[in-house]
Amino acid sequence: MYRKQVRRRRAVLVILVVLALVLISATFSESKSGPLHTVQQGVASVFSPLEEGATRALKPARDLVNWVSETFNARGENSELKTDVQKLRSRLANAQAAMGENEQLRNLLKLDRGGALAGYEPVTARVIARPPTVWYSTVQVDAGSGDGVALNDPVINGDGLIGRVSDVTHWSSKVTLITDAESSVSAKVLPSGPQGVAEPEAGDPSVMLLDFIDKSEPIHEGQIVVTAGWSNGTISSAFPAGIPIGEVRQTTVGQQETYQNVRLDPFADMRNLDYVQVATNGPERPGVSK
Amino acid sequence: MIVTWRIGVRIALVMVVAVLLQLSFFSYLTLFGTTPNIIPLVAVTLGLLGGAMVGAICGFALGFVLDSTLLATLGVSSLVLLAVGYLAGRYREGTEISNTLMPPLLIGVLTMAASAGFSAIQLMLGVETQVSLLILREIFVQGLLAFLLAIPFYPLIRRALRPAIVDDVVAGRRMRTPIRSAAKGRRRRPRRRTPRIRRASGIS
Repeated sequence: MYRKQVRRRRAVLVILVVLALVLISATFSESKSGPLHTVQQGVASVFSPLEEGATRALKPARDLVNWVSETFNARGENSELKTDVQKLRSRLANAQAAMGENEQLRNLLKLDRGGALAGYEPVTARVIARPPTVWYSTVQVDAGSGDGVALNDPVINGDGLIGRVSDVTHWSSKVTLITDAESSVSAKVLPSGPQGVAEPEAGDPSVMLLDFIDKSEPIHEGQIVVTAGWSNGTISSAFPAGIPIGEVRQTTVGQQETYQNVRLDPFADMRNLDYVQVATNGPERPGVSK
Repeated sequence: MIVTWRIGVRIALVMVVAVLLQLSFFSYLTLFGTTPNIIPLVAVTLGLLGGAMVGAICGFALGFVLDSTLLATLGVSSLVLLAVGYLAGRYREGTEISNTLMPPLLIGVLTMAASAGFSAIQLMLGVETQVSLLILREIFVQGLLAFLLAIPFYPLIRRALRPAIVDDVVAGRRMRTPIRSAAKGRRRRPRRRTPRIRRASGIS
């Protein structure tokens, strides 16, 4: 009797392990419209209204817990912010002068004033779920193909670039954040314009690195980094040019290296996302699948 | 654990509530620089209460639902969670849990193992990152948070599945017998005494 139980237990374990391994390899090998993805999207569609309800219902409790932990952090941030304010005041004066100049030049050249997302239709979406592990920097939003959301649509919020849509169901979508290990965004530093690739720093998803910036390029702390909207005619970035990404925090130049290490602080706070905007129905970008 | 269909429904409900709580509440919190994860906690708890087979099956199902709702790579979480659920169940089958601190400790340790296993699979699947101190800190802090969260969650899940837990059913039967007989004895005495007193005082 006992031996039979042991045999059954081992058989169940082996079956489950094999099933898990089959699922892993099948998910990787199968296309987005394959049967496993369909099952996955079905489960996600069933759960998305429940997640939305739970997210709304639990918001006060979440805010309370976060308020407590943020109060502890606020003391340290206060002195840092005071120094930032002093720096920003001097920069504001320069920026206001530059804005006036910019306005005049735009009028002269009759440039498009629609901003970075001109030609897109923004869809506002609520963040309904987040993964529990640092390995996935993704969020689920409550807008899907039914709202016009498509694969690779750029996602922003009031602060700047958030990421892009990496999977879509009818009612919800998965957004891969720019801090995800798989993400890389073509970016340029303002105002001088050297271009590189913004990626998350290994092991610390809250900081980004701007790679491939030649060490001869002068880059200083506080410079703004925006999307470059790079394209060579056959392939291009999923993001249009001019969406703010972050601010240069630190630059270091190694003697043996060709490129300098530029660390960025993303403008958007990826840990506290409630609402985002998905830029849908944008102009066709070569090499970017929809 | 005696798993009837009613208990199966209860276990499924516990798992669904756990996934919803994780995705909509705990994943938004940052405690000691990391996010608390109650999914391994639930898999280990079910293993500790139901044994190796229940632990493995529930771990697999939890992982499948989690990966499906997050549209992540299917099978990764299932593999890790079925392993910790099974290990917890094997521990329970081989050892008597007499110390109340033992389940939270075990949950903390197995959550750390789950977190490390998950990291290892991610690295094997080609996520480009290096094993930094931050990842090691994440593994350790997740274990610590799981230990702390297990203190309220383990009794709560145990309570939800109480009718199926053999130890509790047996203990409940043992407890019920002396209590009932004592209660019956107490109830009988006043019924007998009252008429005697009344008779003696001449009321009836």
